[in-house]
Amino acid sequence: MNCLEFRRAAMLAPRRLDTEALGHAERCPACGVFLGEALGLEAQIENSLDIPVPHGLQERMVRNALDAPRISRRQALVAGLALAATAGGAGLLWQRDDPLALAGIDFVVFEEAQAILDAKPADPASLRRAALQTGIVLPAQLGELRYIGTCPFAGATAHHVVLKTAFGKATLLLLPGRPLGTRLIASARGLHAAIAPASGGSVAIIADSSRGIARIESILKSG
Amino acid sequence: MAGRKAGFDRAVESYFGGLYRYAYWLCRNRWQAEDIVQDSLLRAWRAWPALREERALKSWLFTIVHREYLRAAARVPRTESDAGAEEAGYDPDPGGALDMEQALQELADDSREALLLQVLGGFTCVEIAQVLGASEGAVMTRLTRARQALRRKLGAAGGATGTVREPRTA
Repeated sequence: MNCLEFRRAAMLAPRRLDTEALGHAERCPACGVFLGEALGLEAQIENSLDIPVPHGLQERMVRNALDAPRISRRQALVAGLALAATAGGAGLLWQRDDPLALAGIDFVVFEEAQAILDAKPADPASLRRAALQTGIVLPAQLGELRYIGTCPFAGATAHHVVLKTAFGKATLLLLPGRPLGTRLIASARGLHAAIAPASGGSVAIIADSSRGIARIESILKSG
Repeated sequence: MAGRKAGFDRAVESYFGGLYRYAYWLCRNRWQAEDIVQDSLLRAWRAWPALREERALKSWLFTIVHREYLRAAARVPRTESDAGAEEAGYDPDPGGALDMEQALQELADDSREALLLQVLGGFTCVEIAQVLGASEGAVMTRLTRARQALRRKLGAAGGATGTVREPRTA
């Protein structure tokens, strides 16, 4: 990636840069400054758009909607067909997003870039210790390790790993000491997340595709 | 029926803030925004029994709000913005907020709509394209133009220029 490509990407979606772009920003001081400015502008935009929602408005509107007279079955059928067209035939079934898994996606979308920019050099030995404590190993076939560090996540310190895999970029958050009874999943903002239980904690995996997540989970289990 | 209502309530709970803010920034009038969101929720509830794909729920709701805004805009001309009527003490930097509001207002409609969906809805370019009925490439252009314009108008938080020029390659 050259500087022009980086800046185009930063102007398109500064909070969703891939590892290649973030790596470029680390190596190129001018683009690092550009990214800092782009993220500053993004924060300004977000602050400005974040107007307060009038108190009680949601409850009132939901009540009004629910109490409104129902329409006929035929109208509902037509509306349903329109909905199916809107949904674009993705073919995916109803699936509940878990809040913790959604938090993993939000972390990647909103905080990861800044976490990487602010990070101090990480200690690979501490990652190995964290993996051991969590009860997993990180085999080489997971992919190319692009970043390791620690970050606050869901009220605890997570070990943050960014990988370049055969399925694209993936983020792992190792959560030692945070056991889970069951696997949690979510999909949002164009990303998928799964939080898998491990013997000494859990691991959040966030990637572009559920296929990539399944592949990483299978490697982690086989390791 | 109770379960269906609870499901609708949960869905609205998840996205209400984003839907209201999207409606507000489209019309820049709080009362119009409330009407748009109310009409959108009515439509959403009526079509709710047919909903099968929660994954499409958010973009479906934002699409309804967008279309409701277009209907409202076709019925009555855009009314005066009530942006100055926000509650006192809301913004810690009113000067900066006004500059940003002005800059947002001056964006082309299609660029502003794409930017609002990306920032408020967290949508990808593909999803924005679906909501707006545009191509992904067009959405990418609109987003880039919107940020370039904002950087230019706001001095880019430190004097950067508003265009993506050929820099020295790292």
